[in-house]
Amino acid sequence: MAFNFNWSPLIADTERVRAMLTTALNKSPKPPIIVDDILVNELNLGPTPPDLEILEIGDLAEDRFRGIFKMSYTGDAYLTLKTRVQANPLNTYLSTKPSFASPQPLAASSGLTIPLQITLSDIRLSGFVILVFSKQKGVTLVFRNDPIESLKVSSTFDAIPFVREYLQRTIENQLRVLFMEDLPAIIHKLSLRMFNPEYQALEDIRSQAAEAVQPRVDPFVDSSAEAVGGERTPADGDVTETYASFSQKNLLRLAALSESQRTLSLFTPGIRDTVYRAWATTADRGQGMSGYSTPNPRIATLSRLNSSFDRSATLSSTASITSGTGSHITRPSLVSNASAPTTYALGSGRPRPHAQRKRKHRVVNLRKTAVENDASDAVSQSSGYDDSASASGSRRSKETSKSITDPSNHLPSALREGEVCTPPRSPKKIVGFTTDKADGLASSSTPSRRPITPLHKVIQPPEDDDPTPRASMVLPAKENEKRPQRQHLPRMQTLPSRPKGELYRSHSEVKLPDLSNAFNEGSTGGILEQAWMMKMASEIARRVAEEKSGGERWRRTSEGGASAGGDAPPAYAS
Amino acid sequence: MLEFMDYVQSAFYAGSRWNTDNSYASLTAATTNLLDFRTPHGVRLHVSSLSSPNFATSYTLGNKGVVDGSFSFLFSNLGVKVASRSSAVYLGHLVRGYRHLQELRKPEDASAWETVVDEKVVQKRDALLYGRMYLPGSTLEALYLRRLSPSRLLSIRAVSGAQLPHGGTLLAQLQNDQGKYTTEYLCSTDSALLGFRGLYNFGYDPRDENSQLDSSAPAHPWDHKSGRLSVGAEAYFSPMNKSGGLSTGLRFTTLPVHTGIPYTMTLTLNPLMGNLSSSYAVKAGSDLSLCTRFDFNVYSYESDVTIGLELWRRESSTAWARKMLRSAWRNAPRPAGESTFVSSDFVMKQQDATGVIKARMSAAGKASLLWEGRVKELLVSVGAGFDMKSATRALGSVGLEVSYSS
Repeated sequence: MAFNFNWSPLIADTERVRAMLTTALNKSPKPPIIVDDILVNELNLGPTPPDLEILEIGDLAEDRFRGIFKMSYTGDAYLTLKTRVQANPLNTYLSTKPSFASPQPLAASSGLTIPLQITLSDIRLSGFVILVFSKQKGVTLVFRNDPIESLKVSSTFDAIPFVREYLQRTIENQLRVLFMEDLPAIIHKLSLRMFNPEYQALEDIRSQAAEAVQPRVDPFVDSSAEAVGGERTPADGDVTETYASFSQKNLLRLAALSESQRTLSLFTPGIRDTVYRAWATTADRGQGMSGYSTPNPRIATLSRLNSSFDRSATLSSTASITSGTGSHITRPSLVSNASAPTTYALGSGRPRPHAQRKRKHRVVNLRKTAVENDASDAVSQSSGYDDSASASGSRRSKETSKSITDPSNHLPSALREGEVCTPPRSPKKIVGFTTDKADGLASSSTPSRRPITPLHKVIQPPEDDDPTPRASMVLPAKENEKRPQRQHLPRMQTLPSRPKGELYRSHSEVKLPDLSNAFNEGSTGGILEQAWMMKMASEIARRVAEEKSGGERWRRTSEGGASAGGDAPPAYAS
Repeated sequence: MLEFMDYVQSAFYAGSRWNTDNSYASLTAATTNLLDFRTPHGVRLHVSSLSSPNFATSYTLGNKGVVDGSFSFLFSNLGVKVASRSSAVYLGHLVRGYRHLQELRKPEDASAWETVVDEKVVQKRDALLYGRMYLPGSTLEALYLRRLSPSRLLSIRAVSGAQLPHGGTLLAQLQNDQGKYTTEYLCSTDSALLGFRGLYNFGYDPRDENSQLDSSAPAHPWDHKSGRLSVGAEAYFSPMNKSGGLSTGLRFTTLPVHTGIPYTMTLTLNPLMGNLSSSYAVKAGSDLSLCTRFDFNVYSYESDVTIGLELWRRESSTAWARKMLRSAWRNAPRPAGESTFVSSDFVMKQQDATGVIKARMSAAGKASLLWEGRVKELLVSVGAGFDMKSATRALGSVGLEVSYSS
């Protein structure tokens, strides 16, 4: 469980917050010492976000959330207020008293108004926050205790200790009220504006009537406008998405995603920068199974891989992951199908090595920046396994694989790359089921494939944090049942890929070539051979894992790798 | 326009021979009457009665909120003998304008207060009790006035209301008027505010038998013999919140012996807050008064200028006769001690007016207009406030008050 707490849009959009703070400060009856409106002059939230610790989550669904957090803030936010104060204590004193019993001084109560600028800085907050989110009712955020630990108030009157102390005391009290009462109201209002289209429409009508149409830069406002108008150019949408804020637009997309699960629509909207861990695990299951699946789906998956490479070249790995997951969501029942085209399956399912070459080619382009030393190490290991695998397999396939791997030793890495990356949201590249077509594509790309330098997942940190795949291997039987379905719809979906632990990937690196060889043969040979190949593959994988755990390169992940090596073989052997 | 109960109270002061003008609190009374008059807000109806010289009642109905109102009762052991019917009330007594200060007067002897009742010497001590209940706010105002001695007045004011801190507040005030100087001591229960006011009049000392009031015509308009110079100060201190206030004031005003145009000049200074206020009020004619005030703060450089005027309208049946009087007779100085009232409130010098227009305007853009007068049997007050600087609320407040008393 993890939440992405995006602090940057909050920093960027202080204009609206300032306006809201100003109205909130002036709404409540002000103390008589303040004789003018309080103006929020400057507001800077600073680059340091508050630390949030999840204590409890009471309710969690796609349209509602309830949880308790422990928040502590030690950032460098500051706030500057401007107002005018009445410096005559007698004046403020008498202004609150009934005139009938007041001494009615002649001139002793004459006023002296002084412009005052107060800067609040060094804000230290610590408290328990109760956050309730509902799509209909917006966000409710309540502080269960008084969150203010300390605060530094500096003002125009810092030279006078009495005034300084008074201001410090008064402002702390006011801020406590603000945090406990006003801030929840502000946030609620803001959230209503973002999440509730009707409320937005009302607000927009109001604002339109009030002010002439002006270009809006603010992401919140943009999203709201879109929600109301319903029309928007994709370019604009991208702009707003650069702030991955929890906007109306994103929510609408989420809603569209979940809706699409209930239909047979082939199009599924993708959401960037989103990770669906639940789907990722199912994808693992699919991967585990894919090695044994029939050749046809593998061909399809191969095409997926290629496309995914393209994607990875341009986009960040997270982006590609997201698109893959999006496709999963559209067809929950077909998860196994979607997952079938994983890298494991790819190598094994492909009847000809050309496909591999093509993949490699893409990899080369991608990985030019990768460190060559690392790559070569990994490759040398993997190449050895390739040989063994090919030995067990048919001669022809072995030769081809060797020819591919030997020169640059990067074949495994290429495969690995494929498994990590996911294709774009819609299947742009469709490879025919006929192997000829695939061959043609592959052959065209072969020449450039050779000089390739390898790449290692180890270098890419973002994909390594997910240790989940193990759990997914538990359910191979189900996958078998689902497999027939997969053949119907393989192309429609993009390849699901999910981040894998380094260890696991290292396994796959080794296995992939072996498996691919084995299945190359398996497709031509009988079932028995296939089974044998599987066993071999698993053994090889284990051995590789052990080696790697011993190797310096993998030392970092060795503990996990050992366990992974132990676990992994059964998944493939079954 | 004074409310009926304030009118009765001022009559009480006059009947008890208490000079309210001889106090630091009323140092700038002339300016205040001309520049700080109250304009009515909303519609308000007063029905009052002085059923006996000792007892008065008043009822008020307004439109603040849905409807609001108040009822008040007043009792005095001193018979207040003033006209109470609204058709007969002298308008000059109800509407305070430029204030003609009278000559100082020596405090009465204590023996004058003593009367022999049943062979015992009893000092008569005038007292007044007043209470007012506001509805629906349920706020109670109470006032107790008592003449402790010919030179002393004790007043206790109290307000009780649920919305007030501690449920209410009480202000006790002891005034000591020696003619030449006056002192006041104040004490408020609200944060234990203590106050002191003092006023000293230069020149003629009424207590000194030897000194004679110079009734000769002054040689030139600025001859101080025809006027009075007063200085005063006030100080407040609250030991609970350790805050206080301070101000000093200076006034020069012409006395009735002055043959020229009556005028009053005041200067008040708040040394703590740097506030400086100077005013000049002049009674340009029998029916016209003008006033200017300049406020300046030496610390914040805030300044303001306010100008105001009041114009009386009279229709008297003897106007033709007065026009035929020689001007020397018209302005002839009256011999001292002629007036029956020490207070200037109840000195009738001329025919009653039918109406008065007051206007003021300040450099800050605030302006007010007020007309008060008699319509048939009723006393009517119509006023409006303007704010020239704010476009949205140019017309600040409009009000109408109708009073009837019997």
